[in-house]
Amino acid sequence: MKRAIPLWLWVAALAAYLFLYVPLAVVVVFSFNDSKLNAQWVGFTTAWYVKLFNNEQMLTAARNSLVIAVSSALAATVLGTMAGFALHKYKARVLPVLVFAPIAMPEILMGVALLMFFVLINLTLGLVSVTLAHVAFCIGYVAIVVRSRLAGMDESLVEAARDCGARPWQAFRHVTLPLIMPGVIAGALMAFTLSIDDFVITFFTAGATASTLPLQIYSMVKIAVTPEVNAVSTLLLLLTLALIAVASRIAPGVLNVSK
Amino acid sequence: MREDRSAWLTPPNAAAPDTRMSTQATFRPRAGRWLVAGLPLAYLWLFFAIPCLLMLLASFRVPGEFGGLAPLVGSDGTPALSLRSYADLFGSTIYLWLFAKSLAIALVTTVLCLLIAYPLALLIARSPKRWRDLLLLAVILPFWSNFLIRVYAWMILLGPEWAIAKTINAVLGVFGIEPVTLMFSSFAVILVLVYVHLPFMVLPLYANLEKHDPALIDAAQDLGASPWQRFRYVTWPLSLPGVFAGAALVFIPAFGIFAVPDLVGGTDGIMIGNVIKQQFLETRNWPFGSVLSIMLTLIALALTGLAALAARPRRTAAV
Amino acid sequence: MKTLKLALLALTTVAALAGCGKKETPPPPPPAAAAAPAKPTGTLNLYNWNNYIAPETVERFEKEFNAKVVQTFYSDNDELLAKLAAGATGYDILVPTSNAVEVLIRKGDLLALDHAKLPNMKNLKPEFMDTSFDPGNKFSVPYAYSTTVLGYNDTQLKKAGFEVKGLEAIFDPAVACKLKNRITVLDSPDEVFSAAFFYLGIDPNTQSVDDYKKAAEAIKRAKRCWAAFNSSSYIKELSSGNIWLALGYSNDFFQANLEAAAAKQDFTVVAAIPSQGAVMSVDNMVIHKGAPNPELAHAFVNFMLDGKNAAELSNLIGSGSANAAAMEFIKPEVKAQAAVFPDAETAKKLRQLKLLPSELRQERGRLWTEIKAK
Repeated sequence: MKRAIPLWLWVAALAAYLFLYVPLAVVVVFSFNDSKLNAQWVGFTTAWYVKLFNNEQMLTAARNSLVIAVSSALAATVLGTMAGFALHKYKARVLPVLVFAPIAMPEILMGVALLMFFVLINLTLGLVSVTLAHVAFCIGYVAIVVRSRLAGMDESLVEAARDCGARPWQAFRHVTLPLIMPGVIAGALMAFTLSIDDFVITFFTAGATASTLPLQIYSMVKIAVTPEVNAVSTLLLLLTLALIAVASRIAPGVLNVSK
Repeated sequence: MREDRSAWLTPPNAAAPDTRMSTQATFRPRAGRWLVAGLPLAYLWLFFAIPCLLMLLASFRVPGEFGGLAPLVGSDGTPALSLRSYADLFGSTIYLWLFAKSLAIALVTTVLCLLIAYPLALLIARSPKRWRDLLLLAVILPFWSNFLIRVYAWMILLGPEWAIAKTINAVLGVFGIEPVTLMFSSFAVILVLVYVHLPFMVLPLYANLEKHDPALIDAAQDLGASPWQRFRYVTWPLSLPGVFAGAALVFIPAFGIFAVPDLVGGTDGIMIGNVIKQQFLETRNWPFGSVLSIMLTLIALALTGLAALAARPRRTAAV
Repeated sequence: MKTLKLALLALTTVAALAGCGKKETPPPPPPAAAAAPAKPTGTLNLYNWNNYIAPETVERFEKEFNAKVVQTFYSDNDELLAKLAAGATGYDILVPTSNAVEVLIRKGDLLALDHAKLPNMKNLKPEFMDTSFDPGNKFSVPYAYSTTVLGYNDTQLKKAGFEVKGLEAIFDPAVACKLKNRITVLDSPDEVFSAAFFYLGIDPNTQSVDDYKKAAEAIKRAKRCWAAFNSSSYIKELSSGNIWLALGYSNDFFQANLEAAAAKQDFTVVAAIPSQGAVMSVDNMVIHKGAPNPELAHAFVNFMLDGKNAAELSNLIGSGSANAAAMEFIKPEVKAQAAVFPDAETAKKLRQLKLLPSELRQERGRLWTEIKAK
C-alpha cells in the first residue's frame, strides 16, 4: 500500500537535510579558500592540503589514530565476538551488565575512571593506554551486532554438524563463524570507526605523548578557525565515506538498522 | 555511532521461537565455556569495572598535596578517607545548580532533536523501499564524520561575517535592537548540541517507524480519523519506544559533554562536564572529580532506566 | 554465590591497587652516559609550550650535535603538571613557569643541574637568578618571560573614544560595557584573579580567602561585558577584528600585531602594561628526573643559554629574554615593546606568581566554577 507523503513532511524533511549538510558543505568548500580567515571566499587554492601534508604533528596524530584504531578493532572484535557468543548461548548474569554498561554510561566517567586506574597501576599513558581504553568500550558494540546476528541464525545447521560428529570448536569454525561473518565484520568496522573518532575517552587517557587525530583537531580548533582544519576535516570525511563504501560491499546489511 | 544502543534498550526478540536445543551447556566442555565467556569478562572487569570501583573509592579519599590522590594509608597508619568531597558537593549550591543547568540544556537539546528528527524519520519510513536506503544513508553520512568537525562547521557559520549573523542582526537592527554575537553564547551551545546529536535521534526513530503496520493507519482512516488524530492516536503511541531510545541516545552524551561549551560557550556557558574535566586536569582534586562523575552517572542512569521502562512495547495503540 | 565471590575478588583487587598508589620515591636516575669526551648526541625529548622555540634554533642544535629533537606541546602549566602527575615520562627538557617549577622541585621530579656543563649560565641577567623557589638555580635556569597585559585594537578603540590606561578598562562595568562583547580575558584562574587583585589594589600573591572572594565578586560584576574566557584563539580574534580588547600575554599580542599587518588590516594591536601592575611569567628550562638523555639535555640548556640562540625566540614571538648576552641580537622592534621591556618605574609594578597551598587552590577552583557557571 502506497502511503501518501504530505507536502509539509517533504518540506520539514528537506529542511532537516539542509540543516545537516550545509555546515559540512561549507567546511569542505572553504578548505580550498585562499584566505587565512574562514570568512569570505577569496580564491581557489590547494595550499592548505599541502600545508597539511607537511605538518609533522598532524601526520603523527593520524598515524597514531590508525595504529590505535586497527589494534583496538582487532582486539575488540575478537573479545566482542566471544562476548556476543556467550551472551547468546550462556545464561551469564554479570557479563551482560559489564558488556553493555560502557555503552550506556557517559563517556566522561569512563575516561576519568580509566585515567585514575592507569595512574594507580603506574601504566605510562600513551598509545597502549588509549588502545586498552578503546577496546573496553568497543567490545559492547561488537557484542551487540554479533549477538543479533547469532539470534537470526538457524541453529539447526549447527546441530546438524554436531550430529555428524563435529566437536564444538569445529562446529563453530566451519558453520557458525562463516554464517555470522558479516556481523563480525560489521562489528569490526564499527569498532574501527568508534576508535578513530573517539574524543572524550582518548582525551583523558592519552597522556602527553600520544596525540590522535581528534585530539589534534581539538587543539587546532581551540587556537584558530583556519582552513587547515577544513582540509583535515574534508580528508576525514572522505576517509569515512570510503569506509562506508567498503562496509556496504563486505556486509550489505551492515547499515540496515531495522532488525 | 551509537545507533545500536537502541538494541539494548529494546528487549530481545521475545516473539521468535526458541530454536536453541539443549545444546546450551551439556555438550560443551566447561573449559570452552569459561574461555569464551571468561576472556571478555576478565577484560571488562579489569578495564571497566575495577576502574569504576576505584573511582568510587577515590571519592572517599583525600586530595594529594600537589594534586591527584593522597596515599591511601596516611603517615600515621590510618586510612586517609573522608566524606569531605561529598560535603563539598552539597556545601556550595553551584554544583547542584550546574547539574540542573546541564540537565536543562540536555533536555532542551533532546526535545529540539526530536522535533527536527521526527519528520525526517517519518519521511524515510514512509518512502518507497528503493529510496529508503539512499535517504537513510544521507542521514548517516554526517553521523560518520568526526564530532569535532561538526562543531567546527558551526564555529565558522556563526562568525560575525557570515550570513546567519548578518541576517539576524539586520532583522534586529530593524527593531532597533543591538547586534548580538551568535558565537560564545547559550544559543550557540544548544544549536551545536542539537546538530551534533541529531542523527542519534533519527536512527532509532526510523527503526521504530519502519515497523509500523500501515494497516493500522488505514483502519483509523476508514473509521473517519483526521490526519492529526491518526498521528496522535496511532503513530505517536506506537513510536514511543523509538522516541525514548533516541532521547536516551541524545540525552546521555549531551548531559556530560564538555567540548561544545568549551569551544562555543560564552562567559557563563560551562556545564557540569567542564567542571569534571577541570577537577581532573586543572584543579587536580581527583576525589571531588570522582564525586561529580558518580553523580553524573547516577542521574544519567536513573533517567535512562525510566526511558527503558517507557520503551517497553505497548500492547495497544489506542488511547 | 558466584557473583558474591566475584564481587569480593573485585573489592580486594581494588583495595590492593588503591593501596599501591604512585610510588613516593623517585626511581634512580638513569646512569650517566659513559664518560666519553665525545659530544653528547642522540634524541632529545622537549616538552614545551606551543610555538615557544624558533625552528631555526632547533635545526641548528640538531646539526651541531647530530641529534634529533622530538617536540611535544602543552598549552597550560596545569596541563603540564597534570600530565606529569598522570605518569607521562620520557621527557628530557620541560619549560614550566616559575610556580610550576616550585611544584616540581617540591615533588622531587627534577634532575639537579650540573653547572659545570652549563658555562653559558654567566650570560643570564642577575635579577632573574637565585629565586626564592630555586635558590642557587639548582634545578632551573630562566628561559624567557612574558607579561600579562591589555592588548587592543587601536583604531576601534579610538573610534569608541576609549582610552586604555589600566585594568578598569575591563573590570569597571561602567567603562568595560562600552565595548560589550568585544572583550576577552584569559581562561586561567591564575591570570584573571591576579588581574582582579591588581585592580582592587591587593597583592596577587595574597593567601587570604576573603581577598579571593572579593576578587571573585569583581570578576562576576565585570563578566557581563566580556565576550568569552579565551586563552587560545584570541590572537586570531584580535587580528581579524572581531575582538577589540583582551587580557592576554605580551607574546600573543606581538603575534596578533604581525598577523594584522600581514592581513593588511587598518589597525595595529597595541599592548600596554596596566597602571595597576601586571603578572610577569618567567618560563624556565628544567630537566626531568627521568630524562632518557641527561647529557644531551644539559648540552641543549647550555646551547639555549648562548646569546644568539636565546635571542631567536624573542625575535620570533616577541618574548622578553632573561639573557643579557641576547639583548644585542634582539631586533629593535621587539626591544621597543613597552609591555615587555618596560622602564624601571613600570618594572617595579610587575609581579611573579607564587605557588598556592592546596586548600586555597581548591577554594579558588570552586570560585572559578561559580564565575564560569552563570
